[in-house]
Amino acid sequence: MINSPVHDIDLTEDVALSLRKKTKWHETLIQGALVACGILSVFTTIGIVVILLNESISFFTREVFEITNKSIATDIGPADTTFETTASGSTLVVGQIVRVDDELMEVLAVDGLSLTVERGIQGTEVSFHTADEEIEKSVRVPFREVFTGSRWQPRLQQFGMWPLILSTLMISVISMIVALPLGLASAIYLSEYASNRTRSIVKPILEVLAGIPTVVYGYFALTFMTPFLERAFFGDNIQVFNTLSAGIVVGVLIIPLVSSMSEDALHAVPQSLRNASYGLGATKLETALRVVLPAALSGVTAAFVVAISRAIGETMVVAVAAGAGPRNFEWSQVFTNYGETPLNPLQSAETMTGHIVRISGGDLSYNSIDYNSIFAIGLVLFLITLTLNIISRRIVERFREVYD
Amino acid sequence: MENPENLYPVDEELQKFIDYRKRSGTIWRGVFLMSLFVAILVLIVLMLNIINDAFGLVALENEVDPHSLVTGYQENTMVSMPNTFASTNHAALAAVIQQNETGIGFVGHAHYQTNADDLRLIAVDGQFPTAETVADGSYPFARPLYIYTALDTLQSEPAVAGYFRFYLENANNSGGELGYFLADETLMADQINLIDTLAGGPQALDSLGGNLALSGSSSLYPLSRQMLLDFRQAGFGGDISIEQIGSEAGIEAFCRGDIQVLNASRPMTVAEAATCQRNRVNPVEIAVGLDALAIVSHPSLDFLESVSLKEMGQIFAAMNYWDEIDPSYPVEPIVRAVPGEGSGSLELLSGSMFSTIGLENLSGAAYAEIIRENLGRGRGRALERDQRFLAEGFIFDSQTAFNGACASAEPPTGCAQPARDRDNLLDLIEQEIIVPQIQQTWPLYDSIFNRQAIVAEASRKYPDAIVEFKSWLNPDFLVNPQSSEAELAGVRTAIWGTVMVVATTFLFSFPVGVGAAIYLEEYADSTKWYNKIIQTNISNLAGVPSIIYGMLGLTVFVRLLLPLTSGEMFGRVAEGTDPSGRTVISAGLTLGLLILPIIIINAQEALRAVPNSMRRAGMGLGATKWQTTWSHVLPAALPGILTGTILAMSRAVGETAPLIVVGASTVIRTDPTFFSRFTVLPIQIFQWTSRPQPEFQNLAAAAIIVLLLILLTLNASAVILRNRYSTSS
Repeated sequence: MINSPVHDIDLTEDVALSLRKKTKWHETLIQGALVACGILSVFTTIGIVVILLNESISFFTREVFEITNKSIATDIGPADTTFETTASGSTLVVGQIVRVDDELMEVLAVDGLSLTVERGIQGTEVSFHTADEEIEKSVRVPFREVFTGSRWQPRLQQFGMWPLILSTLMISVISMIVALPLGLASAIYLSEYASNRTRSIVKPILEVLAGIPTVVYGYFALTFMTPFLERAFFGDNIQVFNTLSAGIVVGVLIIPLVSSMSEDALHAVPQSLRNASYGLGATKLETALRVVLPAALSGVTAAFVVAISRAIGETMVVAVAAGAGPRNFEWSQVFTNYGETPLNPLQSAETMTGHIVRISGGDLSYNSIDYNSIFAIGLVLFLITLTLNIISRRIVERFREVYD
Repeated sequence: MENPENLYPVDEELQKFIDYRKRSGTIWRGVFLMSLFVAILVLIVLMLNIINDAFGLVALENEVDPHSLVTGYQENTMVSMPNTFASTNHAALAAVIQQNETGIGFVGHAHYQTNADDLRLIAVDGQFPTAETVADGSYPFARPLYIYTALDTLQSEPAVAGYFRFYLENANNSGGELGYFLADETLMADQINLIDTLAGGPQALDSLGGNLALSGSSSLYPLSRQMLLDFRQAGFGGDISIEQIGSEAGIEAFCRGDIQVLNASRPMTVAEAATCQRNRVNPVEIAVGLDALAIVSHPSLDFLESVSLKEMGQIFAAMNYWDEIDPSYPVEPIVRAVPGEGSGSLELLSGSMFSTIGLENLSGAAYAEIIRENLGRGRGRALERDQRFLAEGFIFDSQTAFNGACASAEPPTGCAQPARDRDNLLDLIEQEIIVPQIQQTWPLYDSIFNRQAIVAEASRKYPDAIVEFKSWLNPDFLVNPQSSEAELAGVRTAIWGTVMVVATTFLFSFPVGVGAAIYLEEYADSTKWYNKIIQTNISNLAGVPSIIYGMLGLTVFVRLLLPLTSGEMFGRVAEGTDPSGRTVISAGLTLGLLILPIIIINAQEALRAVPNSMRRAGMGLGATKWQTTWSHVLPAALPGILTGTILAMSRAVGETAPLIVVGASTVIRTDPTFFSRFTVLPIQIFQWTSRPQPEFQNLAAAAIIVLLLILLTLNASAVILRNRYSTSS
């Protein structure tokens, strides 16, 4: 205050105290809120992992009922706990849960063809059953089959995820064949050859390409790419829904990603390296391919890995253009008759993402086998893409050439 | 020691080597450039493909011809006018006109001929019905007359075949006397041959067994009757009978198999023929002559010489007194005699008389009347409860039932709203009654360059359809809700869905994202392990496929937070219905989580770009950390943050997969609220693209243009923002 009397400054304790930093409660509160915002992202990850794991565990521990080809030999009333079964079909063991009609029973003893059971377990209703009713036995979703089986139809007790994985890989490979050479070549041109003016025109175009929603690319694949392939190359051999067209279009949509990440890496190589190369008499091409590209290799590789991860996770293009329904196959036919496997790019096939979209598109009832199964697929998908992203970052960190 | 020159190419070889290196340099440069062009080419092809699909020719077929609605309405009006006598019996009509001094009306020309002394013939647009004017079509009320029988009857009953042959041979002799107009001689001869082919050659008339029973049109009655009498005269020995019940009733009875020989004053429609076929009645159609409908008046109305079609419309369907038509006419009531409902004459009459009136010329009351006549009761009642048709009274509902519904716990929307206006009624007629249906569509390129071929193809494949150029992207498309009819479907609900979902996303992710960025840039010690984890985690999240976020949203927002996201907590769920978490809120929050990493990374970059001197200056003035951040750092970084946020929002606008998993609906007809089920533009595009019918691909193309325009607007505003602030600072 201006008109307050001027004091001699007296270095007593009071003054020293008042100069000390004060903790203001609302500052602390704000900082707390900001920390919470930061932590929310960690919770998102935790949430994703927990949910995928949790639902996948319900998938793997879920009881599904398998036909035993065995049926009841005589009528059984609600009070009967022992009854005869037919001789056919698989044998039942003590402790097994079986299902007759809608009623669940636990097998307490097996004596030849006669079963002693506890009726109506797990809250199911005890009812009258007539002879010839099928006995179904409960099994868990077999862990091994999921990762080795070649047929995916959860409702029919077929749990091999390979048809989905294989078609996902197929789409990724096709898209990489399109995106990597085109993306890298574009990046080399933009970074090494293009004038500033060209770059200022082309880069926004690539950004526009990157900003187009993927469902639009799906439309493009279905209404342009497939008819084009049909007319120009394959005629009737290509199906309306096919992995080739979806793969090419996924490749196109990844080009901007590859080219912009690669260009950043190429651009970061110091000019002195190029000058040195020119000084030794190298041409522009030799400099670009033999000096700049190796120097930027870590960045370019990282771009490739991110691109693969993006292709695997891409959903809408494959949901629209690749087809509905997993292409189940037999392992024995993979090499002898690959035309019937997801490896035939001219046929329809369903990828992991496409399957999730189709299954969850309808009014999916929670707790059904389909509901659980898409989370198991989601978990596999998440692990693959996460691994690829981590690898990409490691490559950048570990193999980065540092120039000063 | 070797000569060092040998180590290197010299002279020509050197030149070759240099040339090779130069050449490969040029070639590869070309290859790189080409790759770049491929990307640009794809963009161009993609855009052209969409435009190609969004515009073009369509073949449009209406379920009900709009003109038939007009004539139907006008017919009803005409028949129910005061002082109007309607009958299918032309003799009765002639009698009415004879007895009333101010009477005017229509009778078949044959009936006029028999009563020519007591009736006065009036010209239409100056034309009297004569053999010439009827034959060349300049007299509007003329039509061919037919007799029908079933093929089985023709072949099994010789009496019928004999009568038909007799009819064709003699109709032109007695027809003229009766006031009919003669049919073409060669046509008659051809038809005799047809009868011979179907039923075998001629037989002696007195040997024909069986009886003859005719029924149907009143216009053909005099001729058919005369033919019957002549037939008996010529030797037929069986019983004969003839009735007049009108063409429509006659055709109906004929198709049930109740009539042996049918008189008809119009040909059977395709639908009627199909009904006959279903009943195993295979109709044989024979044209026997031409008839004209004469407009006649009482002889005392001598001021009327000739009338135009428009004046006829006034005389028969609008005015009540003669002087209302022309003040010089007497002040007398108009007494009218018109053919009754269900007769071919009435159809002929109204088809010509009201041909100049379009559906759009009618009044709102007329629309309500058309709806009453043509809409099913159940559907009509449902629509009436949505919004009333009439300000006073009801068409389908009753006052008591409506009041009851309004007093219930969930009153229908019609209770509070005013009655539908004229435009609304017209739209309703279009959507519910006319129901235009697209038979085929053609892309823009073909529509421009192969127009002729398309029109020719369409007229061959869809004779009833109209071929017109259609822009699938039009104002109606923007304001119409979703519909299962491609012609009527629009994206209003999808646009609203997108706006509300993205608004939710913004409200959630902007504060949280910027908060996290501020924490990481301004507060966090980046060497601490936990902050490293947060940072790494954010970049990892940016790489997670979007569909995984959908599964997160499905579990957390749709299921776990059901009371919040369904609006149950706020009392937004109607009692007795199951709360559903598949709402706008769930979708918005899911997308919020999805774009959070993008917002954080962009905001971090913007904050990092703020020079440290600003922070130090703030601190130096004694401001606290938050004060410095809030009033110095944030304003400086805001343009960058906003640009990044807008780009993240445009990502959210285009996202599809997570919303499908969260449970977007595809058929949403009402505008969404935050707690209702929803659809968004990309979902709509996905759904339309997935439908097999080609017209939905056109809709998808139009919706894509809308979506891309929204994205363009967002991105352009981001660029403008970036440029404005980068120049000023």
